[in-house]
Amino acid sequence: MNPVQDNRTPGSNPGVAKGNLDLLKHNFLQIWQVLAALAVIYAFFYIMSPPFRSFDTLLSIFGQASILAILACGTTIVLISGGLDLSVGSIFAVVGVATGIFLAQWNLNPVLSIALGLSIGAGLGALNGFIQVVTKVPAFIVTLGGLTAYKGLAEILASGRDLSRFPDAFRFLGTGNVVPVIIMFCAAILTGLFLTKTRLGNRAFAIGGNEEVARLGGVPIAKSRIYYYMLGGLLAGLAAILEVSKLNFAMPARGQSYELYAIAAVVIGGTSLFGGRGGVGKTLLGMLIMQTIIVGLSYMGVGTSYQRIAIGVIIIMAVYWDVWRKPAR
Amino acid sequence: MFLTDNVQNDTDRCGKACRQGHRMTETVPEPSQPVMEARGISKHYGAIVAIDEVDLTLFSGEVLAVVGDNGAGKSTLIKSITGAIPRTSGAIRIDGKQAQIDTPADAKAAGIETVYQDLALVNEISITKNVFLGREIVRNDWLGRFFGVLDFKKMDHEIRTLFAKLDVRITDIYREAEAFSGGQRQAVALSKTVMFGKRIAILDEPTAALGVRESKMAMQLVGSLKDHGLSVIMITHNMEHVLNYCDRVMVLRLGRLVAVRDVKDVDGDTLVGLITGATNTDSDASNTEATA
Repeated sequence: MNPVQDNRTPGSNPGVAKGNLDLLKHNFLQIWQVLAALAVIYAFFYIMSPPFRSFDTLLSIFGQASILAILACGTTIVLISGGLDLSVGSIFAVVGVATGIFLAQWNLNPVLSIALGLSIGAGLGALNGFIQVVTKVPAFIVTLGGLTAYKGLAEILASGRDLSRFPDAFRFLGTGNVVPVIIMFCAAILTGLFLTKTRLGNRAFAIGGNEEVARLGGVPIAKSRIYYYMLGGLLAGLAAILEVSKLNFAMPARGQSYELYAIAAVVIGGTSLFGGRGGVGKTLLGMLIMQTIIVGLSYMGVGTSYQRIAIGVIIIMAVYWDVWRKPAR
Repeated sequence: MFLTDNVQNDTDRCGKACRQGHRMTETVPEPSQPVMEARGISKHYGAIVAIDEVDLTLFSGEVLAVVGDNGAGKSTLIKSITGAIPRTSGAIRIDGKQAQIDTPADAKAAGIETVYQDLALVNEISITKNVFLGREIVRNDWLGRFFGVLDFKKMDHEIRTLFAKLDVRITDIYREAEAFSGGQRQAVALSKTVMFGKRIAILDEPTAALGVRESKMAMQLVGSLKDHGLSVIMITHNMEHVLNYCDRVMVLRLGRLVAVRDVKDVDGDTLVGLITGATNTDSDASNTEATA
């Protein structure tokens, strides 16, 4: 008499039990599906446009994806935890301008400037989380407020200042494609390790999956949420610093709509908008899909307006896929 | 074997009983120490009184059933004593000592493990992560100390040991909880109470969503909680489970405690009568305003 039994025949090797294989298929299919979509899209442009075929193009796809991909790593954490941060584009602007001030106006050491910039990003992200857990105002509203408020802050900070011509030691970060791509991979790997290996990261899935169960399980919800928003802000700050370095100037208009592109990449990659599921690898693939389409269409002479329409269609298709496959689980 | 019915109700709630001239004295000696005593537990939602001055005594090594019709306040009572919802009034003693239980974490620290109905597991995460949710084991090195890196190997080992001990046959513990049947999910939730519950397991309708066969398996597991040193409080609608697996039963009606009985002294009809109000109870006189 066994109190509980699953439907497996006795004697089968648990390690390769049928259930496990089903799960592997299930999980891997999703990330393979995204990878397959990327391959198909890449192949399409490869065939359609000869200049697209060069290695430099491939590198520039990664290079152009890098800044948004770093930002999207943070968005992935926040979305998995069942949150939403619409203000990361504005945090991006604030950090960009602030770092510009540190470097061009105050002539601070680049390392110190970067550290201060990252702290500001983390602080503003944490503020978003803090306001939410204290006031209980929904994430959408709080971060919508943050979107405009931080934008205003960036404009105030930047007004009347020339924020350009930074020291070479700082410019090194964003020059070319190789360094930004390496930083992107580092950020993605660290985010991935955070989500899969650490206590706080693992709790993001539980909180996003079922906050009430997590609360009853003794997980400190408010504190954890503040950390997730803080990391979202930190990664937005890192992306901003990279872009400021690349452009060699800072201005408050940068970062506009970046939060939406980041959410789009997360969604195209297959992370659930409803929380509890997803991963940073998927986000990376989602971002590469978007950039491949943008670069590919540019090579084919399609204008930016049409590119935006294409991205919009892809976003809707990806969400339709997410919603549509839900009941099948 | 344990207390007889009427004792619990009226001795401590002198106010109402006295008005009705119903004072009763506790005459039966206690055969075993109470693990938990909750006194005068009330929960008000504004003007609505969900539970009113309910007392609960749980003795060591027993299974105490909490029964009552829908809306009788069973779940509210449980959530009030586990800190899941803030109670309006009432005090809790664990092992005779005053216990401050205001949050789920307080209850866990006091050795109380609770399986809430529909809120036992997170669907999206694995069995391992569900079992250790809120009490994850971190590595015993700098990675664990500074970054909270989890010790999956140790958690894996502990779960497999536990499942073997309880005869729960789930091997793919890395699979998401949603992939398992209702019975398996309940088995995982009940196992969790053995893993972490030092004193008390509180179960809110452990068989609510289960079929006949799965219910029986789950109830056997509930029975085995006793063997692992736990005292159990169990909400149920199933009179058969009360009669077969429980030692005592307390009946709630419209937010009030109306009877506490030894299971050997009651049958299914009596219980149903107590639940609906068809059978007279010791405290009915004091409850006329509620039942009228």
